[in-house]
Amino acid sequence: MKKSIGDNMIPKDWGFERGLELVKRAGYDGIELWLGDMPWFQMSATDGDVRELRRKVENAGLVVSNVSTGLHWASPLSARDPAVRARAARIVERQIETATLLGTDAVLVVAGLVTEEVPYNEVYQRCVAALKALGATAQRAGVRIGCENCNAEQRFLMSPREFGEFLNDVNSPAVGIHLDVGNIHDNGFAEQWIEIHGSRITRIHLKDVLKHRGRCGDQSVYTNLLLGDNNWPAIRAALTKVGYDGWLVAEMEARYRYAPDQQFFDTAQAMDRLISGRL
Amino acid sequence: MLVTRRKFLGCGVAAVSLRWRLDRLSPAVDVTSPSALLDLGKHCSLGESLSGYAAALGAAVMRVSVSSVPRCAALIVPAAARIPPAASDAIATCLDDGGRVILESGAGFANQADFAAHRTVLREAFDVYVERPVDLWPQAHGSAIPYVEFTWPVPTKVRDFSRVVPLASREGEVIARVNGRPAAIKCPRGRGTLLVLGSPIGPALWAGDAEAIRWLGAAVTT
Repeated sequence: MKKSIGDNMIPKDWGFERGLELVKRAGYDGIELWLGDMPWFQMSATDGDVRELRRKVENAGLVVSNVSTGLHWASPLSARDPAVRARAARIVERQIETATLLGTDAVLVVAGLVTEEVPYNEVYQRCVAALKALGATAQRAGVRIGCENCNAEQRFLMSPREFGEFLNDVNSPAVGIHLDVGNIHDNGFAEQWIEIHGSRITRIHLKDVLKHRGRCGDQSVYTNLLLGDNNWPAIRAALTKVGYDGWLVAEMEARYRYAPDQQFFDTAQAMDRLISGRL
Repeated sequence: MLVTRRKFLGCGVAAVSLRWRLDRLSPAVDVTSPSALLDLGKHCSLGESLSGYAAALGAAVMRVSVSSVPRCAALIVPAAARIPPAASDAIATCLDDGGRVILESGAGFANQADFAAHRTVLREAFDVYVERPVDLWPQAHGSAIPYVEFTWPVPTKVRDFSRVVPLASREGEVIARVNGRPAAIKCPRGRGTLLVLGSPIGPALWAGDAEAIRWLGAAVTT
C-alpha cells in the first residue's frame, strides 16, 4: 500500500511547492488534490495549469493519488434545482478530466446530501441517475468514481449493505466507494465496511474517530491516527483479507496548534505502522 | 417514447383493460380512455417530473410531443415553463372536448423570460393568474414541513417542491394550499376541467411518494 495526504492539509500560507516538499520529506508517496478547495487547483484552472501542477508534483518526487473535491457540499448531485445538478455533474466531469491529466485513475465524490428540504428518496433517485451517466464518462476515461461514505454529514447510505445496494443500482464498474474509515462513527465498524465492499473500494481515507464523543458544538469527533477508537488491527486485517493494496490517503483535521508540519510526520509514521502491521 | 396518432389510439383501446400501476396504493381504477403525457422538451423545466408521471402511470399513458398531441380524455403537462402555442392549443382542444388537463407549473425553475411567457399564456388563454415563486423552505428550518395540502379529489399531503407559484383564477376553486397560499386550482374550461399545480408533484412521483401517486390516480379519474 502507498501513503498519500491531501493538499488541503498544507498550511494556508505555505504555497503548493513548499507543501509538496513537506509531503515528500515526511515520507509520503503521493498527494491527493482537492479541486476547488485550494487556490492552486480551481474549476477555472486550464488544462495547461493542471499539467503544470503535475509537473510540480513529479518534480517533488511524488505522484497524484486521486482527485477529490468538497464542492459537492454546496452543489450536490441531489439538488432539486436542475441548474445546481448540472453544475455538480460538471464538477465530476472536470475531476475526471483532471485525473487523466494528472496521471491518476480515481476521483472522490460526495454523492448526495439529504436535508430537511430534499428527502432521502429523492436524493437516492437523483444520485443513481447522475452516477449512471457519470460512470459511463469515467469508464471511457479509465477513471473510477469513488463515492465517499460521509454517513453522518450526508445522512445518506448509512449502512454498508445499503451502500452496496446503491452501487448495485448504479451498476457501473467505474463507480465504487471511496471508503473513509473515520466516518463510520457509532454506526458500525470500518473493518466490516472493508470486508463488504472489497474490490469496489477505489481509495481509503484514514483518520481516527472518538466514537463516544458525539458532536457537541464545534467539538470534533475526529482525531489523529491511533488516538481514537478505530480498531486498527482489525482494519489492517480486513485490508489483507480483501487484498486491498492501493492508496491510503490521510484526511485529517489540521489540529496542531503549533508546528503544523509535525502532523505530516506523525501521520506518516502512524500510516507506516498500519501498513507494516506493527500495531 | 413519442408516438404517432395511430399508435396512440391503439394504446387507448389497450388501456381499457389496464389498471393504474398504483392499484396497490389506491382503490383500483380502470382507465377507459386514452391519456397523454405531453413532453414539452426544452420547455419542461424538470425532467424528473416527466419521468415521475411516466413511472407512476406506466402503460396507461402515452408520451407525446407538442407536434403530435392526439385527442384524449386526459392530458398531463409536467413542469411546464414556457408553453408554446401548439401546446396551448392542445390543452384548449382537450378541454373543449370535455377532457381533463393537469398542467403542472414548472415556473419556479424557469428563467425570467420563460416565467413571463408562462404567466402570459396562463392568464390570456386560461384565465389563471400565476404569482412569483415563493421559496418556503428557508422559513421551514426547524419548524413544520411545508406540505401542499390537497382537499380534492382526495385529501392528500405532498411535500412542497422548493418553489411554489401561488395561483388564482376568477372561476377556479382552490384545491390545495401550502402555508396558506393557493398551490393548486381546479377550473371548468370548455366542457372539461383544468387542474393547475403550482408546486410540482412529478418529482415526488419519481421518488415513489405513495400519497402523491394516490392523488394522481384520483385526479385523473375522479
